[in-house]
Amino acid sequence: MKKFITLFCAVAFAAAPAFAAREINAYSIMPEKYVSKVTQAFTEDTGIKVNFMRFSSGEALSRLIAEKDNPQVDVLIGGPADTYEAGVKEGVFEKYVPKDVEMVPAKFRSPDGYWTGLGIIPLCFMTNENFLKKNGMKAPETWADLLDPRYKNGLQMADTRTSGTATERIFSLVKIMGEDEAFKYQKELHKNIQMYTKSGAGGAMPIATGQCASGIFYIVDALDIQQQGYPVVITYPKDGVSFGIEADGIIKGAKNLEDAKIFIDWLTSKRFAEFLVANHINYVPTRTDVKTDTPALNLANINLIETDVAWKGANRAHFVERWINDVIK
Amino acid sequence: MISTYSQRPRLDPVSRMVIATLWLALGVFVLYPAFRLLWIAFWVDGRLSFANFMPVITNWYDRMALYNSLLLGGAVAVSGTVLGFLFAYAVTRLSLPMWFNVLLSSVSMLPLISPPFTSSIALTLSLGPNGILLKLFGLSDFNFYGFWGTFLSETLTFYPVAFMTLTTILSRIDSNLEDAAYSMGASPLRVFRTVTLPLAAPGLANAFLLVFACSLADFATPLVLAGHGFPVLPTQAYLQITGMYDLKGGAALSFMLLVPALIVYALQYYWLSKKSFVTVSGKAGGRSSVKGPGPVPSALIVMFLSFVIVFILYIYALIFWGSIVKVWGINNTLTIENYKYAFTFGNKAIKDTLIIACIGTPIGGLLSVLVGYATERLKVKGHKTLETVSLLNFALPGTVVGIAYVVAFNSKPLILTGTVSILIASYVFRYDSAGIRNVIAALQQIDPSIEEASASLGASSARTFRKVTLPLVLPAVLAGMRYLFIHSMTAISATIFLVSVRWSLITTRILECMTELQFAQACAFSIVLIVLVFIASAVMALLARVLCRTGNAGGGIQ
Repeated sequence: MKKFITLFCAVAFAAAPAFAAREINAYSIMPEKYVSKVTQAFTEDTGIKVNFMRFSSGEALSRLIAEKDNPQVDVLIGGPADTYEAGVKEGVFEKYVPKDVEMVPAKFRSPDGYWTGLGIIPLCFMTNENFLKKNGMKAPETWADLLDPRYKNGLQMADTRTSGTATERIFSLVKIMGEDEAFKYQKELHKNIQMYTKSGAGGAMPIATGQCASGIFYIVDALDIQQQGYPVVITYPKDGVSFGIEADGIIKGAKNLEDAKIFIDWLTSKRFAEFLVANHINYVPTRTDVKTDTPALNLANINLIETDVAWKGANRAHFVERWINDVIK
Repeated sequence: MISTYSQRPRLDPVSRMVIATLWLALGVFVLYPAFRLLWIAFWVDGRLSFANFMPVITNWYDRMALYNSLLLGGAVAVSGTVLGFLFAYAVTRLSLPMWFNVLLSSVSMLPLISPPFTSSIALTLSLGPNGILLKLFGLSDFNFYGFWGTFLSETLTFYPVAFMTLTTILSRIDSNLEDAAYSMGASPLRVFRTVTLPLAAPGLANAFLLVFACSLADFATPLVLAGHGFPVLPTQAYLQITGMYDLKGGAALSFMLLVPALIVYALQYYWLSKKSFVTVSGKAGGRSSVKGPGPVPSALIVMFLSFVIVFILYIYALIFWGSIVKVWGINNTLTIENYKYAFTFGNKAIKDTLIIACIGTPIGGLLSVLVGYATERLKVKGHKTLETVSLLNFALPGTVVGIAYVVAFNSKPLILTGTVSILIASYVFRYDSAGIRNVIAALQQIDPSIEEASASLGASSARTFRKVTLPLVLPAVLAGMRYLFIHSMTAISATIFLVSVRWSLITTRILECMTELQFAQACAFSIVLIVLVFIASAVMALLARVLCRTGNAGGGIQ
């Protein structure tokens, strides 16, 4: 009997760490209203709590770089892949190839295994319906349509210094028009700008409430506004638009490495992709076996331009510099 | 105040230890970060150099930021001082009914205890493009973002600072002087010009400098309202670090901000405090009733101030409305789901903010008493330096202190980032300034012979301190603690760099909601914060009244 009790206690003690509250810490570039649902579902599925703080992509990356010697978090959730590439250069991420990775096309994940895409989001135009009716205009169909003088002081979009949405915009333009033309275009566009916002989605609400007319956003933010019931129209430029890859990755030196790996596996799983679709979290899942049912997310209707993530990461700083000196001066 | 001390008292071991601890604390949390900041700004490749400043000075955008900061600061200082003066004048010189005075004072307190973005949100919704007020009055859009929006918002946010300073000054100027001028036949304008204004001049200058410093350091309002066309230094330093991951550039920018801030602080502290035209005397004659400037000017002033009050109340009503509707502008059904959101997802932030404020406030209280006592009573060697160092973090803009703390405590020898201590330290060493000043002022008014008597009866300095000094300065300490608590709840500019996954703050949550367009939730968080601060402030005021039943409640700055 005594032996049994001792054995039982020994087993219980050995198992005790497994019963202690498991948690991981994360920075999230994914907006709070989505990441809170995502982490809640993850905790329900696995019992691991996720403590997160939300930052826009520039802020998150600079924090991770500043904290390199003493990492405060285990994973980075969401955010454009080119931010991850810039981080890889700084040695911020840990290599980890998640389970089921074959279901994600190779172009949507890091060739070296530092990050994995969980969804893709093209850029789009979002315009206030009432503004269009008042001015008898059609929704913008090409990039040049936004140069229309009737949009004067009517555009809001993201600031390239802090936002991944903004750098995606520059990448699109450079791919379509070539670098010098792209910056000439942006200088023209600048005349119509009301405000550059800190975060990528910052201009969406003002368009929704009619404070301004139009702007360029990732489809995830634009659809969210439309689904709330605001009078907005979403269009894609016919001459082409690039897309962001929303990714996730493990931080080098993560203190809760094993649980972080479980989280990345979960984000790559079918369960998660179906969760996205079911909850109207408007990323197009990267997994080839899960299809989205929202028409606006149907990639077949969009002139998508492929961009090389490595190219984006290498050129980001240069484009931002040029934007400050050539466009907003 | 004639001091009866003929020489410095000898210190017993306890006092010595206390002084040593004070210096250690100040050294670690005030001097060390400042030093690291200067190091990172000026020390390049092993030698003293301005290399980090070159890109900042040659960059047209950053130069514009410096110019804009000074321009905005000056403009807000003028408008804030004028507005504050009108309020103070109305409360002290016009014979207004009691309830109106109370209304003026309490409404003016609102901007001081609210979170940083309240006026920005409400003003954007009212006066921004397609704004409510613009549509109501049929005005065409005027360019709200940029200088004008920021100017308007900061004036409304900071005029209470001028109001409080000027009320104290004006109420201490003996109104008998003005009455004498009136009875000799001078017109109200003449009295104002030749008697009131000159007497109030140092107070006006002081208020001007205070509001200027507030605007210079303001981070939250320009972040939302200034836009790309009107960069200012605090937001530029923040963007440089968080957007361009350039710690050196950010440090250089914050240094550029430091210089005008220190100049203002030096002017205010050393030059103005020497001049005082306060006419406090043992009142010889009975006070006649205050003769105001006459019915017409009074009516005009009252009308204008009423308009301002209504506008301020409207702003808060708008925030409250924003927090209880489902979807702003589209779906006006009333709902409490925004509050539910604040209390579930924001629960951690609310708890953390309260914990930090509750731990920091007693520490700050203790610190202010010790520093005040060491400076004013013990008069140890270098006490003037001690005083200046202890007030240094307050003189510096919040972003500068935040950046300095990140730079200093993110690497060896002392790593504190991500902990609660860095947050508490940043609050305590920044906002105990009011407490320190209060305690020094209170000690100056207490005759040291009381303590001498205690000492000569054999009590150790610790005992004297505990039984004699402490009860006498308690009102001042409690007023200082209230100030510290309020600011610990509502500050953002320093702490936005210091929050981490383990410790978050309500104010950073509000900022995140704002940038993520969750206006309704931002409003809900704001209301929760305002209510919490209000309750806590009232509790502390009550506590102060209960604990200090004897004597007058000598607390100075609130």
